[in-house]
Amino acid sequence: MTTRSVDLLVVDDGGALRGYDCRDVVRVEEVAGEAGGYLVRLGRLGSPHEVACREVLGSVTLSAREIRPVPVALRERIPGEKPWAVGLTERELYLLY
Amino acid sequence: MFEVIGMESTSGISPLEESREELLRDASIEAEASGREKAREESGPARSLLVFFLGAEGFAVDLAHVRKVLRPSRIARVSGAAPEVLGLMNCMGEVLCVLDLRRILSSGKETAPPAATEGKFIVVLKHGGKEAGFLVDTVRDATELPASSILPVLDSVEPSRVRLFEGTVACGGQFVGLLSPSACLNP
Repeated sequence: MTTRSVDLLVVDDGGALRGYDCRDVVRVEEVAGEAGGYLVRLGRLGSPHEVACREVLGSVTLSAREIRPVPVALRERIPGEKPWAVGLTERELYLLY
Repeated sequence: MFEVIGMESTSGISPLEESREELLRDASIEAEASGREKAREESGPARSLLVFFLGAEGFAVDLAHVRKVLRPSRIARVSGAAPEVLGLMNCMGEVLCVLDLRRILSSGKETAPPAATEGKFIVVLKHGGKEAGFLVDTVRDATELPASSILPVLDSVEPSRVRLFEGTVACGGQFVGLLSPSACLNP
C-alpha cells in the first residue's frame, strides 16, 4: 500500500501559495489588461467557481504526511472561504483550497 | 524521512513508525504526568510570568501557557483573514498561526500595515486546545511573583481592552499588563 497523496495546481495569490486539487481544475485563463494575472476555473469535481491569482506556478504532489490541519486560531479568523488544510514541505507552505 | 515501501500496515503507517508512535505516545503521557506532578509541587502562592514588550509598553503572561519563544521565519500571508493575522509559519514541522499582538491590543483601531518581523520574537501561547504565536518586540525574562502581588487591571486601560487582561503586575520598576491567554487567543 502506498501513502495517499494529492496533486495540486499551485498558484501565487500575492501573499501565499495556494493549492487546488488538479482533478477539480477545469481551465486556467490568462487575464488580459493592466492588472494581468490568471483566472483558475474550478468545478470538475464540485460546484463551479473561479479564483483569480497573480501567477500560476505549476503543480506539486503532496503526501498525506505533508498535510496538516488548519490551525483553529486561523480558521476562526477567516470570515470567507477557508482552506481545508495546509501543505507543509521542507521548502514551502501551501494553503489548500 | 526514510520509508520502506511495502512495509506499511493497512493504516498506511509502517510497523517501525507505529512502534515509534507508540513510544512517543507513552513518552508524552509520562511527560504530561510528570509535568502535572511538578506543577502540583510548585503550586503555591507564586506565579511564574514571562515579561515582554511592545515598544515601551510591557506585558506579562503566565508561563504555564507559554509553549515556546522563537524567532520569526518566513510567514505566509493568508488572504481574507482578519487584520491581526500575520500568517502561517512552519514551526519545526508544525503549522503555526502568527498573530500581531499590537493589533489585538489596539482593538481594531490599528490601521498600519502588518508589522515587520525582523529582530522580533514570537511567543507561542496555548490555552484550551488553541495555540497561536504572538509577535512581540522584545522578550525580557521570566519572573516569579506572589499571586497576591497581582493588582486589578489599571483604570487607564481602555474599556474595550479590559477583557484582554487578567490584571497588572509591578515588574522592574514599571507596571505591566498581565494578559489573559484565553482572551488573546479567542477573536
